[in-house]
Parts: sequence; C-alpha cells; structure tokens
Amino acid sequence: MMGLLVFKEKLKQLYGKYNRYMIPAVKFLLGASSFFLISSNVGFMARLKNPLVPVVMGLVAAVVPCGVTAFFAGCFLIAHVSQVSLEAALIIAVFMLVVMMLYYGFRPGDGYLLLLTPMMFFLRVPYVIPLFVGLSGSLVSIVPVSCGVCIYYIMMYLKQNAGVLAGSTMSEMAERFIVIVQSLFGNQLMWVMAAAFAAGVLVVFLIRNLSVDYSWSIAIIAGVITQLVVIFIGDFYFNLPVAIGPMILGILVSVVLALVYQFFVFAVDYTRTEYLQYQDDDYYYYVKAVPKITVSQPDVKVHRISSRKSSRHEKSN
Amino acid sequence: MLNEEKIRIMTGIAMFEKKAGRDILPASRYFKSDYVGGRMIRSFIFYTFSSMLCLALWVLYQMEDIMSTMDVTALLASAKHVALFYAAGLLVYLAVTYWIYSRRYERASKGMKIYQAKLRRLEKKYEAPSVQGENEEERRV
Repeated sequence: MMGLLVFKEKLKQLYGKYNRYMIPAVKFLLGASSFFLISSNVGFMARLKNPLVPVVMGLVAAVVPCGVTAFFAGCFLIAHVSQVSLEAALIIAVFMLVVMMLYYGFRPGDGYLLLLTPMMFFLRVPYVIPLFVGLSGSLVSIVPVSCGVCIYYIMMYLKQNAGVLAGSTMSEMAERFIVIVQSLFGNQLMWVMAAAFAAGVLVVFLIRNLSVDYSWSIAIIAGVITQLVVIFIGDFYFNLPVAIGPMILGILVSVVLALVYQFFVFAVDYTRTEYLQYQDDDYYYYVKAVPKITVSQPDVKVHRISSRKSSRHEKSN
Repeated sequence: MLNEEKIRIMTGIAMFEKKAGRDILPASRYFKSDYVGGRMIRSFIFYTFSSMLCLALWVLYQMEDIMSTMDVTALLASAKHVALFYAAGLLVYLAVTYWIYSRRYERASKGMKIYQAKLRRLEKKYEAPSVQGENEEERRV
C-alpha cells in the first residue's frame, strides 16, 4: 500500500512538471484512436482510409477542445457512411445536429464522452464509463453517454450491413429509408444498453454523494449491479443477443479500473474519521471530517564518506 | 524591481479569468432578465430547428402511408399530435434553459464580485507607491 501511495505521489509530481505536454498527448491519443476506430470499422471511403488521416486528425485534436474533435469525428463518420448509403448518412447527420443544438448548446464541456463511450465498447470494457461518469461527472452527462451508446450501435449496424446497403436492390429511396430507420432505432439491445448506462450513472452518482463510509466503493459495486440488472431485465423481456462470458469479464475489468481510479482520486482513511459539532448564530453544524491518505515522497540522498580522506584528516589533526 | 505581491495578485486574476471568465464576462454585460431571455430565444430557435429536422425524417419515414391514403382528416389529426408534442417539448426545454441560465447568472454575479475585489486590491497596490512619492515631494517643498 505504501509503495502504491509513493507511486501516486511520483505520478502527481510528474504531472505537475509535464502537464503542458501530457494534456495534448492524451487528447492526441483520444482523437487519433477515435478516427482510427471509425476507419477500421466503417471505413467505406477509400480516400479517407489512409493511415495518415488518424494521425493528422489526432494532431488537430491535440489543440482543439474535445467537443470540436467529436464534431470532426461525426463528419468523418458521415463521409464514410455516405459512400454506402446516403439515407443512413442523412439520419446520422440529423442525429448529430439535434444533439449538438439541444445538448451542446449549453456548453456542458463533456464532449469527450461522445468519443470515449464507443471507444470503450470496442475495447470490451464499456461498463467502466457509467462508473467513471457517476464518480466524477454530473447527472447531465447521462445524455452524451447514451448518445455514445447509440453511436456505437449505429456503427455496428453499418459495419454488419454495409454489403446489403451498398448492393441493395431496393430501388425506392423511401423503402430503403424505412428499413434503415427501423433497423437503427428498432435495435432493442441499443436501448437496453443506453438504459443500463443511464441507470448506472444515476446510481453511482447518488451513492457516492451519500455521507456513509466507503461511499465510493459501494457506489462502484452498486453501479455495476444496476447495469447487470437492467441488462438481464432487457434480456428477459426482449431476448437480446448478449454474450454472458465477455460481459462478466468486461464488468470485472471495469470494476478494477474504477477502483484504480478511486485510489488515485479519492484515497481517504475512514479509520481516522472525526465527527465535530459546533454552532454559530444561525446554524448547528454536524461535521464529518475524513482525512486524506497522503505520504511524502522519500527524499533519498546518498552521501559518500571516503575512509581514506577521514584517515588523512585524523593524521593531520 | 519586481513586486512579488503584485505578481501574486495579477497571477490570481489571470487564473480566475482563464477558469471562470468564459461564463462570468458575458453574464456581467447584461441584466438577468436580458441574459436569460436571450438564451431562451436561442434555445427556442435550436429546439424549433431540431424539431423540424426530426419532422422531416418522420415524414420521409411515413411517406408511403401518406401518399397512399391522402386522407385529409387523418393528416390533420397527425398534425395536431405533432403540434402537441412540439409544444410540450418546447415548454420542458425552455424551463430547463431558464433554470440552467438563471443559476449560471447567479454564479457569475458572485464570481464578478470576487473578480472586482481582486482588481481593487491590485489597483491599491499601484496607487500606494505614487501616494508615497507625492508625500515625499510635499515634505521637500
């Protein structure tokens, strides 16, 4: 434990020293991997499939806000999809515009969730997102998280049905449009996952704000159980194609990641909790003070004491 | 010679501007009713435009049914439903907008007071040496 705390202090120092470079580096990684995932999954336009495109867009993402990167990624996705189906591209464009105007009009500053949520789906640990958002974000972040879930399932639909959409014999545009709308918005798995994530964020957020010991750990466990319960209820009612094994593995990894996050952000010692009570003219105060776990980084200095020198000094004396 | 106290205050002001300036400075230019009203008008436009986009998608989705039946009474009933949904959604959205921007304005007003207090402290620091200099000149005379 002590070793981990020292490691945490070292990381904090490192971040303090190099945060000027670290933040753009993280934004570059997020941007480049988002564009890479779009290209590798729904890369229908040959010109945009160039491997340099994610690198260049990552460099752009390093200097612009995450919301702008999400907008560029959306345009990139629409450009790819338009090669296969103009109708699908139109639906995605409307979806994007509506989210941008109705939610991002308030400038909430959580545009990165639109990129991060689908990315975690591709990394098989999507259940970590509601835990992180509930622990450190606000309730309104349910909107970008749910939109991120929709974006992932839209991408999956396009990936699996690209051949059908491109070589479709349906001559009528309206007919094609109806089929795509029904497939995209009639995807019960997408809605169940969005509901599970929204419920997860809500439960984690509510529990971590309670004044009980180990509230963050309880919130993580409760958040995971909530997600599982909602997915199982959805599975029971709609008979969803959910693979239990990978889901359990993903949930376990998500819990571990959330506990690591808790260690770095909220390390407190509940055994040394102080309960204080005092008053002023207007109020009585019942205060619970929980000390943070902090250690100072060991400052090791090695002094070399030469035996020859000391013996000479002794002789001279 | 560098005045550390001044540098500390100026750094504090610059950090405050960087962190909170984006929300505080626009709000400080208006009365609350103007600020919130302006944002509500913007929300109304955004909501109406979004609704029109969704309506266009819905019309495309229902195009075959609409063209095949061409029943005016059924179309009017659908239009009524759409208008009802639009109005209900608009009310909720405008209420959310009012709540969010009222809170932001109040937070910005508090922030502005802190910002002005910091500026006054800095101003005093600039005035202090000049007042001292004037006193010394008076003594010489």
